[in-house]
Amino acid sequence: MSGLGELDRPGTPGSPGAWDSRSRESLTDPVAGGGGAAGEHAIAGGSPVARGGEVAEGAEGSAVAGGSPVARGGASDGGAAGARGGAVGGGAAVTRDGAAGGGGAVAVGKEAPSAARRAAADPVKALMHRHRDLCERAVDPLEIAAGLEAHGVTDRTAARFRHRDVFSLAEEMYARVPRDGDASPRPTNPPAPRARTGWIVLALLPGALCAATVAGLRLTEGRPRLIAAVVGALVVTLALRAALRRGPLRAATRTTGTWTCWLVGYALLGDGLLHAALAGGPDGLPDGTAEGPWPVTVAPVLALALACAPAAASAHLFAVGARRKLAASRGLADFSASVRPLLLGTVALFMCALTALVALTGAVLAEPAAHPQALTLGALLLLARLLTVHGCTHAPTRVLTAAATAEAAALATLFAGRLPGCGLLAAPVEALVAACGPAGVPTAACGIGALTLLVHATRRLTRASAHAPMEQPR
Amino acid sequence: MRIGLLTEGGYPYVSGEAGLWCDRLVRGLEQHEFDVYALSRSERQEAEGWVPLPPQVSRVRTASLWDFEDDGVVHGRRARRRFAEYYSELAAVLCTTAPGNSSAYSERASRGASGSESALEADRFANALYGLAELARDEGGLPAALRSETAVRALERACRAPGAHRSAREARVPDLLAVAARLEHALRPLSLDWYEDDDLGAVDLCHAASGGTAALPGLLARHFCDVPLLVTEYGVRLRTHYLTEPDAPPAIRSLLAAFHGRLAAETYRRAAVITPGNTHARRWQERCGADRAKLRTVHPGMDATPFAETGESPGYADPHTLVWVGRIEPVKDLVSLLHAFAEIRKAEPRARLRIVGNPTGPEGAAYLAHCKGLAAQLFPDEADGPHAVGRNPVSFEETGGPELPSRADAYGAGALVVLSSVVEGFPSGLVEAMFCGRATVSTDVGAVVEAIGGTGLVVPPRNPRALAEACVALLRDPERRERLGAAARARALELFTVEQNVAAFHGIYLEILSSTPVRRVVLDDTGEPLPFAVPAEAHVPGRWTDPTARVVARGGPGWATDAPVRATSPASATEGAR
Repeated sequence: MSGLGELDRPGTPGSPGAWDSRSRESLTDPVAGGGGAAGEHAIAGGSPVARGGEVAEGAEGSAVAGGSPVARGGASDGGAAGARGGAVGGGAAVTRDGAAGGGGAVAVGKEAPSAARRAAADPVKALMHRHRDLCERAVDPLEIAAGLEAHGVTDRTAARFRHRDVFSLAEEMYARVPRDGDASPRPTNPPAPRARTGWIVLALLPGALCAATVAGLRLTEGRPRLIAAVVGALVVTLALRAALRRGPLRAATRTTGTWTCWLVGYALLGDGLLHAALAGGPDGLPDGTAEGPWPVTVAPVLALALACAPAAASAHLFAVGARRKLAASRGLADFSASVRPLLLGTVALFMCALTALVALTGAVLAEPAAHPQALTLGALLLLARLLTVHGCTHAPTRVLTAAATAEAAALATLFAGRLPGCGLLAAPVEALVAACGPAGVPTAACGIGALTLLVHATRRLTRASAHAPMEQPR
Repeated sequence: MRIGLLTEGGYPYVSGEAGLWCDRLVRGLEQHEFDVYALSRSERQEAEGWVPLPPQVSRVRTASLWDFEDDGVVHGRRARRRFAEYYSELAAVLCTTAPGNSSAYSERASRGASGSESALEADRFANALYGLAELARDEGGLPAALRSETAVRALERACRAPGAHRSAREARVPDLLAVAARLEHALRPLSLDWYEDDDLGAVDLCHAASGGTAALPGLLARHFCDVPLLVTEYGVRLRTHYLTEPDAPPAIRSLLAAFHGRLAAETYRRAAVITPGNTHARRWQERCGADRAKLRTVHPGMDATPFAETGESPGYADPHTLVWVGRIEPVKDLVSLLHAFAEIRKAEPRARLRIVGNPTGPEGAAYLAHCKGLAAQLFPDEADGPHAVGRNPVSFEETGGPELPSRADAYGAGALVVLSSVVEGFPSGLVEAMFCGRATVSTDVGAVVEAIGGTGLVVPPRNPRALAEACVALLRDPERRERLGAAARARALELFTVEQNVAAFHGIYLEILSSTPVRRVVLDDTGEPLPFAVPAEAHVPGRWTDPTARVVARGGPGWATDAPVRATSPASATEGAR
């Protein structure tokens, strides 16, 4: 690059001289004299590219009476950084008419080849280097145009790159961005949302409270036992609600818990009632023990309450795993195929945990282990919740309603069978109980429901749209 | 006449953008009746409430863009198939076109094959859009469908199809999901119930206060009810879209850019008149396919009254003082100004510079500190004599104090107003200086040249020496300064007042209505169409029987009387319609 002294000397006497003197004129001219503004403007717009070339050439000849300081500034800038020089070269302090604003489209004259010979005279390349981030990430020319404008490039600047406007300059830049065949680097996975541990405590709460309630039932008698039962039921319900409001079991849509309560209530009282009803009872209200006239089976309910924590954990695992698979898979079919084993594994994991809990509670409470009904009910509830969490509320509600209705119907037919002439109504339930014991009714109802939901879940939860991140309301 | 004003995150809300402009428009055109259809952008915005509405606003309907509302409708098989068909079409259009070229079809329309091809693509987009709107109108359930697996699959198919855009081909599953969600967000206006005969169907004219989402209800009103559409854009939405979220994956940006480009093109194609706020917006609109015959530049209006006093008494300013007024932030390039001022001081040792403004945000505060440091370094304190307390020739001040109670006083304090930004939209500060009758030297950015015309000096940005040259020339020539100031004030009063803005829109309303055919044909007893059965003023209930109205007295419809010239609201004049 030539030194600053040389930069002062414009080469061709033609355009820079006229440009300088006229701009000098306009500096000192009053507004009224701005008639020549448009012409001036045209010259200012057209010449600088040529001048860039000349400057680099370091042509001799100080033929032109020393250019105005303004022009010098432009020229020296032009030497220092090609693009910048182009931007600045436009010049002197001219008064311009707004209408002339778009008129920068001046064809560059014969000087163009000489300018093109110089590597330094490829101003667009320098501009691209300056905005290389913008150019590399742009998906279309308009994005480059918007970015350039945000950096202060105007049509008059673009004229110095021999373009009619910013848009065509941006098109050239877009076309010139080197693009190898490779795809852009894989976007890094978004950081997983900060795992909060609050939900773990909440998920453990129903189980703990339920255990406390059971202990209270075991240790009290009479009226205190009744109070303990009522308070315990209330507290466990509230804890359950809290656990379902936060963490991985939180659902975006509101759901009704009536049928869930009914199903859990049946697990607590239903088997005893069925048993008693078959024997002609019940002869009294439940007294909170397994030996009364209406025996209460606490173990499965306690197991289910304790299973809240594994349920939340498996829902969390499923969500996290699905998110990871989402980021890793290329197509929707890929994703479905990879999520299906994850879903089945999650459910199996939960079932293992539930089995262990049922066995444990049965042993601790010295009750006959109620494996089948507790397991099917647990599976049903987990699948319903998983579907609800991922935005599919229709099927779970239907299935839960159906299961609850089936259980209610079984009890109702038993009692209806006692009416004269209706003995036939009770026959199917009696046959079922004869075959599988009282546990057969809930097991059948919940088992069929759970299977239905499992089939449904393998179709719905393996879709990518079920795992779309929900936007936060702003 | 009845005007449906469509806004998005705008007018009736307190924190709405361009709210001041809409408010002045509505208050200025009190002889018309306004129905405001507003889309709110956030819960906070909705909670902050509305600005007080004048009586000519007869109805306000709002809908939220931020809230996902599922109407619970589950599509049947036929509706699902219809949806899949339209959505696939939409996705295909978004993926196949190279987005940048898609919107430039106006230039190519005359060039045969590629022109007709892009016109075809535009038609496909329009068909898909209106098809989805019709589906939403007939069946409902569109929001859920737009997020369903059907939609995601359609997107995937379109992205993998041969001929898809390079960056669309790279779309991964999370990108597809994000695009589906964003499209659902952008298409929420389709599910609104605004397009009945007693809502948007009853207005004579839809005026969209911005492009993009706000214009979507107008497009649908035009499609369903044939209501003419007027689009005003002070900032081009498409450009804003490009500048937001530069870090998103390219597939998302490509597809969304294609969508917004297509939507803008469709808006411009269907609009009866488009009013850009400045040449810059106009260029973008032309680039996106707007027909030049439809474009009318309507400059934003600003309230001139606070500056009237300063503007009419230009004499008392200190002849050696330069003033810079604005918000202090890095794009204002105060560093350049300080360097220029150093040059000015060499030529004019008595010159002073007053920088008036508040920093915006932490970045602005840091920049202000930097500038103060630089000023202290460049210019030592000076005193008049050996016994006087010195002061710095550069002072940083804020308005609101006893010395400079208002911005008008700030402009009035200097002989010369300087603007040194490197990036600028519409330079409202410059226009204020023009209102004050001050000579200005500004950098050639944004709409500066357009605003200043020939009434001030313009220098290239980031060129302190040129800035200094121009300032010195003006400082030494008070007569020229005065002449430029007077010319600037005259120009601003002619072009940038609220009155001209309101009058321009009044004229455009009448122009559109005059070229719109009668939509509701009334038949007489024999089944023949009855001419003049539904005059435009018939849609203005209660007005033409109003005894105080001028309509009856003058024997003509109220909207056809003279152009309104109304005092503006007393709100601060610091913001333009932006």
